[in-house]
Amino acid sequence: MLVRNSGSNITRRKLLGHSALAGAALAMPSILTTARPAGAQSLSASAFAKANIDWKQFKGEEITVGVIPAGYFNNLIDVVDTFEDLSGIKVHFDKIPPGQIRQKAMLDLSSKTGVYATHAADPMYYPLYVANNWVEPLDAYLADPKITDAAWFDYNDIPAGWRGSCSVGGKTYGIPYDGEATVQVYRKDVYEKAGINPAETLDQFVANAAKVHDPSNRLWAAALRGFRGAGQNMYIYPSIFREFGGEWYDSNKKLVVTTEPAIKALEWYADLLRRYAPPGVENWNWPDIADAFGQGTLATYIDAHNSAGVINDPQKSKVIGKIGYARWPKGPTGKRVTSIWTWSFPINAALPERRKKATWLFIQWSASKETQTATSYEFAGAYKRTDVNRTSLWQEPQYRKLMDSYGDNFVEAATASFRDDIDPDWRPLIPQWPAVGEIMATAVQAALVGQAKPKDALTAAQKQIDQATRS
Amino acid sequence: MKAANQTRGELLKDERFFAALLVAPGLLVLLVTTTAPLVYLLWTSLHHANLSMPWMNGFVGLDHYVHMLGDGRFWDALRLTAIYTVTTVVLQLVIGLGLALLVLQIPLGQWLFRLVAILPIVLAPVVVGLYWRTLMLSPSFGLFDVFTTQVFGKSYNWLGEPTLALISVILIHTWQWTAFAFLVLLASLASIPPDLYEAARIDRAGVIDRFRHITLPLIRPAIMIVIIMRAMVALSAFAAIYAATGGGPGTATQILNLYAYQTSFVALDFGYGSAQAIALLIVTLAVSAALFRLRRRGGLA
Amino acid sequence: MTRGGVRRRLAKALIPASATAVLALWAFPIFWAIVVALKSESEVLAFPPSLVFKPTLANFGDSLVGRFSILPEMWTSLVISSVATLLTIVLAVPASYAFARLRLPAGKFLGFYVLATQMLPPVGLVIPYFLILNRVGWLDTYQGMITVYLTFSLPFAIWLMVSFMEDIPREMEEAAAIDRASRLKTLWYIILPQVRGGIAVTVVFVFLNCWDEFLFAVQLSGNHVRPVTVAMYNFVSVEQTLWAKLSAASLIAMVPVIAIGFAAQRHIVKGLTVGAVKGGGRR
Repeated sequence: MLVRNSGSNITRRKLLGHSALAGAALAMPSILTTARPAGAQSLSASAFAKANIDWKQFKGEEITVGVIPAGYFNNLIDVVDTFEDLSGIKVHFDKIPPGQIRQKAMLDLSSKTGVYATHAADPMYYPLYVANNWVEPLDAYLADPKITDAAWFDYNDIPAGWRGSCSVGGKTYGIPYDGEATVQVYRKDVYEKAGINPAETLDQFVANAAKVHDPSNRLWAAALRGFRGAGQNMYIYPSIFREFGGEWYDSNKKLVVTTEPAIKALEWYADLLRRYAPPGVENWNWPDIADAFGQGTLATYIDAHNSAGVINDPQKSKVIGKIGYARWPKGPTGKRVTSIWTWSFPINAALPERRKKATWLFIQWSASKETQTATSYEFAGAYKRTDVNRTSLWQEPQYRKLMDSYGDNFVEAATASFRDDIDPDWRPLIPQWPAVGEIMATAVQAALVGQAKPKDALTAAQKQIDQATRS
Repeated sequence: MKAANQTRGELLKDERFFAALLVAPGLLVLLVTTTAPLVYLLWTSLHHANLSMPWMNGFVGLDHYVHMLGDGRFWDALRLTAIYTVTTVVLQLVIGLGLALLVLQIPLGQWLFRLVAILPIVLAPVVVGLYWRTLMLSPSFGLFDVFTTQVFGKSYNWLGEPTLALISVILIHTWQWTAFAFLVLLASLASIPPDLYEAARIDRAGVIDRFRHITLPLIRPAIMIVIIMRAMVALSAFAAIYAATGGGPGTATQILNLYAYQTSFVALDFGYGSAQAIALLIVTLAVSAALFRLRRRGGLA
Repeated sequence: MTRGGVRRRLAKALIPASATAVLALWAFPIFWAIVVALKSESEVLAFPPSLVFKPTLANFGDSLVGRFSILPEMWTSLVISSVATLLTIVLAVPASYAFARLRLPAGKFLGFYVLATQMLPPVGLVIPYFLILNRVGWLDTYQGMITVYLTFSLPFAIWLMVSFMEDIPREMEEAAAIDRASRLKTLWYIILPQVRGGIAVTVVFVFLNCWDEFLFAVQLSGNHVRPVTVAMYNFVSVEQTLWAKLSAASLIAMVPVIAIGFAAQRHIVKGLTVGAVKGGGRR
């Protein structure tokens, strides 16, 4: 099995001689595991020979990469033997539950144990990582011709907003592996029957919802994430906030969330969900929304574009072929603001020098156009990635063909969102964001549930935010 | 006579030595493995250790504790913890005892009952939380909803409304753990010699009298242990609630344990989080000490 | 006499009936888990949920073979839980006897200390344990996990056994003392068989606690040692939860514990029959 490799870190085992015996006795499970699907992928080493670097210069290193269980990482795991053959570097993957990966990564980074050479990082944590000096600045790596072929790697092919989300103060600290944007997703057939088009403005979004809302026939009009979390309902709220013209900082550079746009945005959010969303939505995260849509009980939602993979999964979905996509509706300011999300790879600053560079080779390889291609439409398995990190890939006919199969207007909605709707001030980039995000998330959910009026919820949140950001 | 006294003195010393020997290995293990973490926790709680603001880290003495006393969320969490713990422990005890009494009367196939009863406990709490969240309690998808719409014609938002959410998580916890009380009390009830009941029946004592005067006093130690153990587990319940509601909606199910987790691992304020953990420890100690004394007072033969 | 007889017979019938009803209700979610595991993913969320469908064993198959197999993790958990349980019993049973039945110096204090060690909130312990295990080089190892679980299980086991020990009639030891049996012999030949049932219950719960533990399993394990609770997340990704497969996997993960429970509960029964001392009990 890919993720459990019995050839683990030797140095740790050296400390306890008898553990080798124990290891032998307990190696029994390996007969139950299956080897990596051999030859499953068509990614050849020759594709990488083009790069003008010596891939084998760090031969013999072993690195462990922490990822979450997800289709887009599974594909990477499936093709990684190409990298191992190419570079002579051994890669172990550790699949960590999504609710735990940030803590585990931080535990590793902060205690300098160097367990994870790199891990799938949440962009909102970069200011935190940098403030603590846990990750390597990568500009030097990008510029070093010995380890990076800049022309071949074409770093600027990655959308600017995504690159920016992994940078702090203009310096790069992580390389995006995948990325997504939030878009409208709707049922073509339902909209056709009601004679409406996907909403252009937030008001129209509500009007559309009113037209198709039919709970007695188990069709609810719209849903957005309600689940409390800095990466959950606070993944959607900032877009609405910015579309209403909200600014996170006041003229004194203080983080303020009680402004008029903030309240209006929360009111819009709470109102929509209360009137047109399925009951229980205040606890819903993305998989719940995708489930409902796939079951045909939801007419519209706004969420990550790569949910397309899930709602087109023949194993689970009942609405294949009936899906359409559109960009975020405009707010009163006329802006469309999509979310910025990437899973990116930083380099653990606690590693020995040689291993850092070996990790860099891995990162460069996984973010390269060739690997991105191999894990999406060229992938031999059922799941083909829709969240590649390369804008040029979206121009490739084969890729577009695959994306088109996911529904109407998918390519246009996604590419336009990447290109035009990314707002660098979408969320404040401060180290305290995880805490602030949670405070806001609680306030948002309290308003959604009706536990507090939007204005009061935000006022309470402001008090806590002041506490959390005091310096 | 004098010889007997000597032997008794020696016997006592022997006994004390033997007892100490029996206890030593286990005690040593505990000493080694729990002292360091406790010291670390205390130490951290006296410092500002916020990963997101490392420039502020340093010794702050009792600041966190003072702040805690003024923190509304802390008192809310404490209140929720109290409600949660008391309710679920009482429920577990009552249902467990009732079930044990019932099942004791069934000689045949008792093994089946015991087996079925422990199934909920065997399911991992994290899976239990996920399950109940979507397959059981989610409105318009879950089984509970099917039931309530058919029978009551109404759909309840079990995890979306603050009060219902609290009831739901108590329900989930009780569902999962009652079997512990059931099995322990069953084993305890089963060890009561039937002769005692015979004697009582001859004396024409009624069922309730037999229960109050024979059964209850004899299973009292087991009951106390069940209460103490379940209380400790309830006070530190985590996985199932986290998976089911995440502490929400809002903070309606955020018991102190969850609040401490949130503070430490999400807000990254480990200093304050450690203080909360210590507070939880103190609460648990206090509750257990009280129960412990109750237990001792009950008197053993 | 007849009226009493009818009432008694009614009561006799009512008892198993009501017990069955309660237990059926209790076990219903588990039953439902089995139903879900036999469905295909798209049927799981169909509403209203149906009992009539074409069952499939594919989900169980996926949990046993192939890339999502949880068998390696089950083996890991089995090793960790078994060793931890064994060590716990070996250390806890004698200690519990000392607490319950012997005059232990500073017995009350030590007893409470043991109980108190279990009260450290797990949330607060994750980081210290991580740091300590790292210092000793035991992160992501069997011995590390076993030691951590031993720490949780010992106090629990000791106190559980104490209550069972206290149930033993004093006459037994007094009888043994008269026969001039050594303390050790008394413990081994007389006391232990009495508390068989108690030991069985303790074994089940200690094993269970280790098997189902999540927080420490995820933080202190890694690539090399991966307990089964972490493996559940093979089916829970950020994108979606595969309910049918998750059900199948959790049910399979339950099997070892049920097996142990089944083996143990026979001893609970044996404990009953051996235990009754004619005319014994407290007076």
